[in-house]
Amino acid sequence: MDEVSGMRRMFSRILAMFRRPALDQELDEELRSHLELAAVENQRRGMAADEAWRKALRDFGGVTQVRETVRVREGLAFAENLRRDLGYALRMLKMSPGFAAIAIGSLALGIGANTAIFSIAKQVLLDRLNVPRAGELRLFAWRSKRQSVVHSSWGDWDRTADGAGVTSTSFSYPVYQLMRKQNHELADLFAFKNLGRINVTVDGEAQVVQGDLVSGNFYDQMGVQPQLGRAIGPADDDKPGGSPVAVISDGYWTRQFNRSPLVIGKTILVNLVNVTIVGVNPRGFTGAKGTQNSPELFLPFSMQPLVFPYSTMDSLLTSDRVWWTQIMARAKPGLDEAKARAALDVALKSAVRATMTVKPNESLPDLLLTDGSRGMNESAREMARPLFVLISLVGLVVLLACANMANLLLARAAARQREMSVRMALGAGRARILRQVMTESLLLAVLGGLAGLVVGYFGRNAILAMLSSPAEPMTLPGGFDWGVFAFNAALSLVTGLLFGLGPAWQATRTQVSSALKDSAQTTTQRRRGYAGRAIVGFQVALSTLLVVMAGFFLRTVINLGRIDPGFDPRNIVLFEVRPPQSQYSGAKGTALFRQIEERLATVPGVMLVSPTSVPPLSHDYESDDFKPVGKKVAAGKEESALNTAVGDRYFATFRVPILAGRGFAPTDTETSPKVAVVNQALAKKYFPNENPIGKSFETSDPKNDKLIYQIVGVCADTRYGSLREVPPPVYYLDYRQSPEIDWGMTFAVKTRTARAGITPSLRRAVQAVDPNLPLIDVRTQEEQIEVLLMNERVFADLTTGFGVLALALACIGIYGLMAYTVSRRTNEIGIRMALGARSDQVLRMVLGEAVWMTAIGLAVGLGGALALGRVVASQLYGLKAWDPATLTAAAALLIFVALGATWVPARRAAGVDPSRALRAE
Amino acid sequence: MGEDKRDVLQGTLDLMVLKTLETMGPQHGYGIARRIEQISEQALRLNQGTIYPALLRLRQRGWIRADWGTSENGRRARYYTLTKTGKAQIEKETESWERVAATMARFLTVQ
Repeated sequence: MDEVSGMRRMFSRILAMFRRPALDQELDEELRSHLELAAVENQRRGMAADEAWRKALRDFGGVTQVRETVRVREGLAFAENLRRDLGYALRMLKMSPGFAAIAIGSLALGIGANTAIFSIAKQVLLDRLNVPRAGELRLFAWRSKRQSVVHSSWGDWDRTADGAGVTSTSFSYPVYQLMRKQNHELADLFAFKNLGRINVTVDGEAQVVQGDLVSGNFYDQMGVQPQLGRAIGPADDDKPGGSPVAVISDGYWTRQFNRSPLVIGKTILVNLVNVTIVGVNPRGFTGAKGTQNSPELFLPFSMQPLVFPYSTMDSLLTSDRVWWTQIMARAKPGLDEAKARAALDVALKSAVRATMTVKPNESLPDLLLTDGSRGMNESAREMARPLFVLISLVGLVVLLACANMANLLLARAAARQREMSVRMALGAGRARILRQVMTESLLLAVLGGLAGLVVGYFGRNAILAMLSSPAEPMTLPGGFDWGVFAFNAALSLVTGLLFGLGPAWQATRTQVSSALKDSAQTTTQRRRGYAGRAIVGFQVALSTLLVVMAGFFLRTVINLGRIDPGFDPRNIVLFEVRPPQSQYSGAKGTALFRQIEERLATVPGVMLVSPTSVPPLSHDYESDDFKPVGKKVAAGKEESALNTAVGDRYFATFRVPILAGRGFAPTDTETSPKVAVVNQALAKKYFPNENPIGKSFETSDPKNDKLIYQIVGVCADTRYGSLREVPPPVYYLDYRQSPEIDWGMTFAVKTRTARAGITPSLRRAVQAVDPNLPLIDVRTQEEQIEVLLMNERVFADLTTGFGVLALALACIGIYGLMAYTVSRRTNEIGIRMALGARSDQVLRMVLGEAVWMTAIGLAVGLGGALALGRVVASQLYGLKAWDPATLTAAAALLIFVALGATWVPARRAAGVDPSRALRAE
Repeated sequence: MGEDKRDVLQGTLDLMVLKTLETMGPQHGYGIARRIEQISEQALRLNQGTIYPALLRLRQRGWIRADWGTSENGRRARYYTLTKTGKAQIEKETESWERVAATMARFLTVQ
């Protein structure tokens, strides 16, 4: 064995290890029988029993040595055989490149698509915050069954399923502090709040970043240490405005500061307040909000009054009214959750009583301890259902790909039965042939898996890109998910083994002699025919399901695209300006908007400009009290209506017709009588059979002061936040007369030129007013609508892709099976034709068989589609989940594809020349 | 492989095994080893164990086949049979062995 290199020996030893038990047993038995034979012979020659054994052993030489030598050789042989099998398998695949390409391609697409979707889904739905023992984290929430004591909230706010109550994760800061003091069940309570986007000026460059407020014990409780500098500590959270410091994210450090250590101590402007960077978060830490992306800036709560003034209030930290803070705490090991919840519930209720006046019709909130291991996990809530639908659909695609591979392997095994018989006749062992077939199947599966890896990697990035809007880039930090890939690859391996080995097992079991005779193949043909038909039926069923789903989502997108929003979205550029409240509160803000509006109007190429507090069709909603003056309102049935504060030229800019009365005019100012324009829907709801013009209504501002407006005009209905909702009742106010707009203002600019050309001049116009104001989210109104439809479009694109893939796979399956059947039955068809069957009868017979097979698959698939339709019903628009047109079209398409795939083999069958067919065998 | 006994050239041992199987028919390992010992007797001393790696080698080349059978004393033993390719191989091996032997002989006489 000297010539064997070390590497090779090691390799073969490793391989031999897997085969050791069986090998050892056989070899040991052989050696034992050798020694026994020798000993018996020695005894016959007159030796004593033990002397005979000793001599036998002596003559043999070293038993262990022999054993080891044989083992190494055996291992080597295994490696050698593997190499030879692989070579042979590669040659076989090269000989039928079509087969190889289809098998590998379908596996690659199936595995790739599945890996991509699953990695995203897993990350969005399952991944935990990147902190030690994330499972211990509990996110506080509350639910009130009836009218809530909380009237003002900044943060999530959901109606309970019955519509009567409310759930939320927001608490007022004083309530947080009181609960923290009274908590004995959980580890120390800590707080965080995502501020959304804030203006930051770094080295004179204005930009927009995401910011989080965190409590002084946040880092300590999260168990996270900055990779550079220090964390925000309790001392930073002592007194309001006392510690203007920030910790930045690893991503922001890289992007903005090029990972320079000099960033520590650097001062930046956050909403015009000087803040010093004191630390950099570790890579992968995303704060407590969620796992998808990290805010760039972390500030102590004590800085809220300075960096993020809210409404006209001095400080949210002392406000009992506004609920906005998120609370988390770690569960100690062995915690009794029910007991802890009960104790904290008492603490919450007493904190509410201590800080607010509870009216008789209002109910106190009940505390809920929810899983905080994934943060607030908002995207999971939004995306759970679409992702589950995608997961199920893509799961079907993988099943289809596996079915396809099974079908191909079955057909191939049948075609190669003769070859196997010949090889067996020539002395090849059955195990050797099985191993050969197995190698081939595995090779296919591995190649398919590798290709799937590539598809999955790029697919994941492509889907992420599709799901990201420019406003909210979706970044998943975790990268590629190997676990998911491994699962899919294993699935394809199992399929390959099962359907590769199964037929080979069958084929090698048949008697060599009988298999070589053609007649014997009728038995295996029936078997193969049955399995093949079942698989093709299965494929048709899966394809039906996928095609129907594709149809549903395509029609949904088309229906949504056809909706008339009620205004003209063409040539409108939108952008937002968010002036810092510390500088532009109250009248100053209104004046700033006025200045910007006037500046923009002078930009060449600009036709019309209007500020609007809510950009249309952006999923933004602004709702306030609405009470027609002089009308009786039932107690506890307070009404609210959507509204928008707009500029004078809003209706002209968006081409919304004024149907009665007038729109706003430059004469509507801060000091003139307060007027409003309402849409038709509002007029119909509150003033049925009346002329709404001249009527007044009452609403309130954030400080709860009553405001009265008189209706001067009625405009046409437009879609408000989303395309799916019919136009709701809306009232419009002039922004100079409306309650303060403290969130920033969107400017709608109707232009003559394209957006790209005009954006720089718009930016210059705004910065001529204030150089520290960046333009946020510059986009056209049409892009805004696209963003709204993005999820639907991605869905339609993906499901259509799946549908086309499914059709292609089913087509291959049907063609393969029918072509095989026809070639097997050439003889029989020849006899039929010799006995007088016409070729059109033969054609019909073959086509009929395919239609029959397809029909069964279709029936099953349509049943599945109806069931799945109920799940996706809420995602559809303009059609029912049993939409007959889609179902019929899908069925027709599949029958058409089935007939198309059968056409070629059927023509071949019809063209059989009886005399030649009979002579051939 | 044995230290105190003279090693046999690999090719030599292979040919001996093949030849044994040709003359004796199917035979187990011990039988083959004894036969080789008997024929070579004093000229060549052989560790009986050495035969097993050789048998495996020949089997892997497809020259011999192994089947389990019952030995003369009623135990299970592995019997080796010459295959068709093995039979053909004997001729080739013999030829090449004779060529080597002749060459060696010439070398020795020239000196």
